[in-house]
Amino acid sequence: MIVLKEICDKHSDLEIIQKSLAEVDFFSCLYERYEARLLRYIKRLAYLSDEEAEDILQESFISIWKNLRGFDQSLKLSSWIYRIVHNQAVSLLRKKQSHGEKDRVDWNDTIGSDIPDETVMGLLKEGQDIDHDTHALLERLPLPYKEVLMLKFLEAMSYEEISDVLKLPEGTVATRINRAKKAFRQLADAQHLHFEL
Amino acid sequence: MKSSEKLIETIKQQDIRPMPGWYYFLKNGLLWASFGFAVLLGAMAFSVILFAIQQADFNVLGHLSHSKMEMFLGLLPFLWIGVLLLFTAVAFYSIRNSERGYKFTLAKQIGFSALLSILLGTLFFIGGGGRRLEQAFATNVSLYESIQERKVKIWSMPESGYLSGKITEVAGDHFTLEDFKGKSWEIQYGDTTFIAPIVQMEVGETIKLIGKMADDTVFKANEIRPWGGPGQRHRGRQSF
Repeated sequence: MIVLKEICDKHSDLEIIQKSLAEVDFFSCLYERYEARLLRYIKRLAYLSDEEAEDILQESFISIWKNLRGFDQSLKLSSWIYRIVHNQAVSLLRKKQSHGEKDRVDWNDTIGSDIPDETVMGLLKEGQDIDHDTHALLERLPLPYKEVLMLKFLEAMSYEEISDVLKLPEGTVATRINRAKKAFRQLADAQHLHFEL
Repeated sequence: MKSSEKLIETIKQQDIRPMPGWYYFLKNGLLWASFGFAVLLGAMAFSVILFAIQQADFNVLGHLSHSKMEMFLGLLPFLWIGVLLLFTAVAFYSIRNSERGYKFTLAKQIGFSALLSILLGTLFFIGGGGRRLEQAFATNVSLYESIQERKVKIWSMPESGYLSGKITEVAGDHFTLEDFKGKSWEIQYGDTTFIAPIVQMEVGETIKLIGKMADDTVFKANEIRPWGGPGQRHRGRQSF
């Protein structure tokens, strides 16, 4: 049985962890709190269908549940959750790539119109068929570039949070973001699209 | 069924439980213990390396008739360098896999592991730990060729111009030396012979010589140096 949203909302992430360890039903609060943004992140990162993304999320939360007592409280819970979800999604992505699966779900099917304003999209100067173009460009970037751009601009994370998600030093994150932005801009220029990052 | 409901159902049905707290405590404890252990052993290895360098007489390379590279490599304590590298790698692995190890760059992770071993190893060396460890190894491991044994080997090549041993008699412009094989030599020297200031030319003193073998029992010395490392003097019985 899941816990009602009104009850979940009264508790912080850490309180929910404590309550979940005593009563597993409270774990549903954590799932529901992060579900929408994580599903969106998985789909953007790994080009998965709704069903596949949900499977990844379920598996990730099973893993989060198993490791709940290992959560380092000096981290933000969201960073830790993103790390686990990210690893699961990337692992599936690599598995699919190694099996030669190139069929990807169309961007328009996977990406809703709920991309936050403070994202890459919000930084664009000229409006065009923005969602499709931006994501088509992101798709062409190597994974290390794509993931930092997504975390920075689409998930609006700080360098420290990205460092915790990807387990990289903050300096490396900063360098990678700079390079990724350059690569993104070059691709955009080649396509005669106008972005400002 | 909502996804969150499905998740809770799966957890309940499969009776999936969170790993116990002690598992993480043990995991982290083992990681840091292996780091400490690796740094300590790396430090010991480094102290022996310092001892080997102190004993190695790299300055004789300029005099050698053998290939310099060959002799240089012969003087390096490869075993201990290997041990240091191995334990630095273990320490590096431990940092890398610690909870917040990823916050450091690769260079910092390696540098930090190596630096701790180097600092501790220098302290061990100053305290005489390197020499004692090396001697303990030489005594207890039959296959191990000690630094002193290698040094004796290098300095027991009179035909190549290297001789060492204990002064048994001093008389005017020559003295008698008993080498490490027990053979007695007449050592001739003159005004042009370099005698290290620390060498006292006393009976019982252990020294090493660079020069030329004049005949089977006579050696003409160009340089007379103390047996120990640079600036060290040994008297009486050797410790190896």
